[in-house]
Amino acid sequence: MASSKKVITREKWEKRLNHIRIRKEDMNKLVMNFLVTEGYAEAVAKFRMETGTKSDMDVAMIMDRMAVNKAVQCGNVEDAIEKVNDLNPKILDTNPELFFHLQQQRLIELIRNEKIEAALEFAQEELAPRGEENQSFLEELERTVSLLVFKDVSNCPVRELLDISQRLKTANEVNAAILTSQSHEKDPKLHSLLKMLIWAQNQLDEKATYPRIKDFSKATLENPAV
Amino acid sequence: MPSATVNKPRPSELLSRLTSAEPEVKVRALREVKNQIIGNRTKKLSFLKLGAVPAVAGILADSIDDVTENNNCNNTNNFLVQSAAALGSFACGFDAGVQAVLDAGAFPNLLRLLANPNEKVVDAVARALRMIYQSKLAPKYDFLQQKNMEFLISLLNSEKETVSGLGASIITRSCETNLEQKALFDAGILRKLNSLLEGGSLSQRDASLESLATVFRNNPEVISKFAGPEIGRPLSSIIDLAKDRYPRTRLLACMCLIVIRNASPHFLQDIGIKTKLIHILLELLDDPGQVGDEAPFAFSSLIAQKEDLQKLALEANAIDKFHHHIKKGSLHPRRYEGILLALADMCSKLESCRSKFLSLQVLNLVADALTDYNAGVRAAACICLKSVTRSIKNLSAGYFMNETIVIPLVQLFLDPSTSVQVAALGATSNIVVDFTTRKSIFVQCGGMKQLVQLAKSMESSVRSNALWALKNFVFQADNRLKEGVFSELTASLLSSLIRDPEPSVQEQALALVRNLVDGCINLIEFVFAEDGLILGAIGRQLQCASKAEIGIQGMYALCNVASGNEFHREAVMQLLFTQMGDKNQSFVVKFLQSNDSQLRTATVWTIVNLTCPSSPGAPCRLEKLRNAGIVSQIKNMVNDPCVDVKLRVRTVLGQSMAFGDN
Repeated sequence: MASSKKVITREKWEKRLNHIRIRKEDMNKLVMNFLVTEGYAEAVAKFRMETGTKSDMDVAMIMDRMAVNKAVQCGNVEDAIEKVNDLNPKILDTNPELFFHLQQQRLIELIRNEKIEAALEFAQEELAPRGEENQSFLEELERTVSLLVFKDVSNCPVRELLDISQRLKTANEVNAAILTSQSHEKDPKLHSLLKMLIWAQNQLDEKATYPRIKDFSKATLENPAV
Repeated sequence: MPSATVNKPRPSELLSRLTSAEPEVKVRALREVKNQIIGNRTKKLSFLKLGAVPAVAGILADSIDDVTENNNCNNTNNFLVQSAAALGSFACGFDAGVQAVLDAGAFPNLLRLLANPNEKVVDAVARALRMIYQSKLAPKYDFLQQKNMEFLISLLNSEKETVSGLGASIITRSCETNLEQKALFDAGILRKLNSLLEGGSLSQRDASLESLATVFRNNPEVISKFAGPEIGRPLSSIIDLAKDRYPRTRLLACMCLIVIRNASPHFLQDIGIKTKLIHILLELLDDPGQVGDEAPFAFSSLIAQKEDLQKLALEANAIDKFHHHIKKGSLHPRRYEGILLALADMCSKLESCRSKFLSLQVLNLVADALTDYNAGVRAAACICLKSVTRSIKNLSAGYFMNETIVIPLVQLFLDPSTSVQVAALGATSNIVVDFTTRKSIFVQCGGMKQLVQLAKSMESSVRSNALWALKNFVFQADNRLKEGVFSELTASLLSSLIRDPEPSVQEQALALVRNLVDGCINLIEFVFAEDGLILGAIGRQLQCASKAEIGIQGMYALCNVASGNEFHREAVMQLLFTQMGDKNQSFVVKFLQSNDSQLRTATVWTIVNLTCPSSPGAPCRLEKLRNAGIVSQIKNMVNDPCVDVKLRVRTVLGQSMAFGDN
C-alpha cells in the first residue's frame, strides 16, 4: 500500500534544522522563566549571577511563595493561610474556591492526626458556613465531612482525600493563585513550547513521515519509518 | 507536625486585646482578626457586629500619629500594614463592611497613607482603597477639581501595580457624566490608560479596559477623539485583547468594544467585528467561573434592540448554545439569569429566533425557572416568556395557554419581589391575548381574580401592569368572560383607577374600558353602572389628560360607547360638552389640534360615530358640534398629514353633508 505522505529523510531533516539559529539569550530566558515559575529560588539567584539573565520576579517573592507551598505540603495549612495573607490578603478574599479547598485540607489534616473532636468543631465552625455562603461547595463538603463517619478511613470510599496527592493538588492551586496575583503565568513557557511541538508533530504526521521526537527529555530524533 | 486548631480566642476576647496597652498583644490580635476574616464572610459579619471596624480604624489612626512623631518605625509599619489589610478585607465584596469602614472615618487616613515611604504599607493601603472603590458605596470622586485630577494622574503614573490599579478603579467607579469623561480625556488620562493596555501587566490591562469602557460610555465625542489618527490605532489594541489568552481579558475587551459600538455609529460596524464579538462571547460561556457568569450579560448588551445582530447570533447558533448550558442544570443564579435575559433579547423582535427557541423545546426549561429560589432568575424567566409570547403565530395556535406555564406564572403574582410581579404581569399580558377560546384556563386557575387584586396594589407599576394584562385578556373575548371581569373589578374600582394619581395607570384603565365595551351593545352598559361612575370618571380624566396616550384610550372608549344606541350617544355628547371651570373650549377641539396623530384619529372616529346618518339624533348632535366650532375644525383637517385622520375626516364631512351642510 503506497503511502501518499511525503517522506523526509533524517539527513534532509537535520540539514534543515542546522539552518535555524536560536539565540542563547532566548534559551536563558526560558530557563529563568522555568526556575521562577517552579519556585527554585536559589537556582534563580545563581543562574542570574552566572548568566546575567534578568528575572521578572525577585528572589524574595519566590521564596515567600515557596514557603507557602512547603507549608501546605507538610500539612501546616493554617500556617500557609497566614503566609498567603501576609503576601497578599486579596488572594483568599477573592478566591472562594481556593479558600474552601484550604479549609478542606485543614479538616483532612485534623482527621489524619485523629484529632476528631477538633475536626468536628472545625467542620461546624469553619466549613459549614462555606457551604452556606456558596451552594456549589456543598457536594465536596459532604464528601470531606463523611471522612468523620468511617472508623477505618484508609479503606473508605473517599480515602483519596487523605492521600498526599491531595496536599499536592491544594499546593498547586495556591501556587497558581499566587502567581496570577503577581501577574505571572502559572505555567512555565517551556510547557507551552512543548505543547506546541506535540501539536505541530501531530499535524505534520498527517502529511509526512519524518524524524519525530518521541522522548522529550532526550529530544532524540527517531528515524522515520519507511 | 501539622498544626491543629488550638484553643482559639473568642471574637470578643480578640476585640478587647485590640485595645491592649502592650503592642505585642495588640498586633498579634490584629493579625489574628485579619486572618480570621479573610475569605470568611460569616466572620466578617460577626466581627462587624461586635464593633471591630472602629477599633481597627482607631489603630490605623493612632499609627499615623506615630509615623508623624517618628516613633518606632518597624512596629508602626507593621500596625499600618495589618490594620489596612484588615480594613481592606472588611470592605472586600461586602457592602456592610464598606459602610462600616467609611463610617469609622478610615477613608481619609487611607488616602494619606498612599504617600508613605514604606512599600508594604502603600500596597496594603492601595488594596484596601481599591476594595472600597469596587463598591457602590464608595465616596464620589470629583474629577472636575484640578487637585483631584492631578492626584489621579499621579496614581496612574505610579510604578506600583496596586497604586495604578487603584487609579483605574476610581475612574471605573466614579466617572459618570459626559463632562467628567471629557475632563478625563483632556487631562490625558486616556493616553495613559492606553499605554497600560499595551505595555502593562495582566491586571493593569484588565483594569485599563474597565476604565476605558467607563470613559467611553455614551460619549461618541470622546470615542472619536480617542480613536482618531493621533494615537496610532488604539482600537486595534482593544480588538487584539478580545482574542487574548485570558478569558477575563477577552470579556472585558469585548465589553469595551460593545460600549464603543453602542455609543458611536462610526466605529466597529462591519460584519467582521460583529461576528467576532458574537463568537467570542458565546465561547466565553464555557468558562466555569465568574467570566462565564458575566458573558451572557455582555452578549445582551451587544444584541439588545438590534435585529441585524440578533440575526447574526441566530446563525451562530446562539440559541442552541444557551439551551445547551441551561440543560446542564445547577447553574450559578447569576449565570442562569444572564442566559435567560440573553434569550429574551434574542427573541424580542425576530420570529425566526422565537421559532428556533420553541423548536428546541427551551420553553419547558424556562417554565421550570419560574419556580427558582432566586428572584432574579424568576424575573428573567418571565421576561424571556414575554419575548417569546410575542409570536402571534403561536399565540393564535394557543401554544402558551396551558397549565405548565400559566399556573406557575399566576403564582408569581404573589411573589415577594415587586420586579418579579411586574415581569410576570408582562408575560401574562401577552399570553392572555389568546385568539382561541382557551382564555377560560386563565380564569380557572384564579389568574383573573389575582389580576384584579394586583390592580389594587400599593406599587403603581404593579397596578398599571395588572391592568395591562386585564386589558389584553378582555381583548375580543366573549361576553361571558368580559362580564366576569367587570363584576370582579366593580365599577367603583375601575372608576377610581381611571382617576389614579399615576398617568400610566390612568392610561391602562381607560384602555381596559375600551376593550370591555368593544363589540356587544350590552357591554356598553358597564360604563353606566352605579350612576355612570365610569363614564363620569372618563369625562373628568379627559378634561385634564396629562399625556396624549390617556386622551387616545379615553376617546376610543367613548368611541366604542358611541357605537351603541341613541341613549349611549347622547350620554357621550353630554360628556364632551361638560364645562370645567371657566374653560370655554371643549377638550375635543384641543385633541383635534394635537400633534399626536393617533389622538386626532381617535377623536375624529368618535365624531364619526356620533354623526352616523342612520341614527335619528344625528342632525341635532351635528348642530351642537357645529356651534361649538368642532365641524369647522374638522374641515381644516381635510389635508391632515396622517392618512387615518384624513379618511375619517372625509367620512365626517360626508355625513354632515347628508344633513345639508353649507
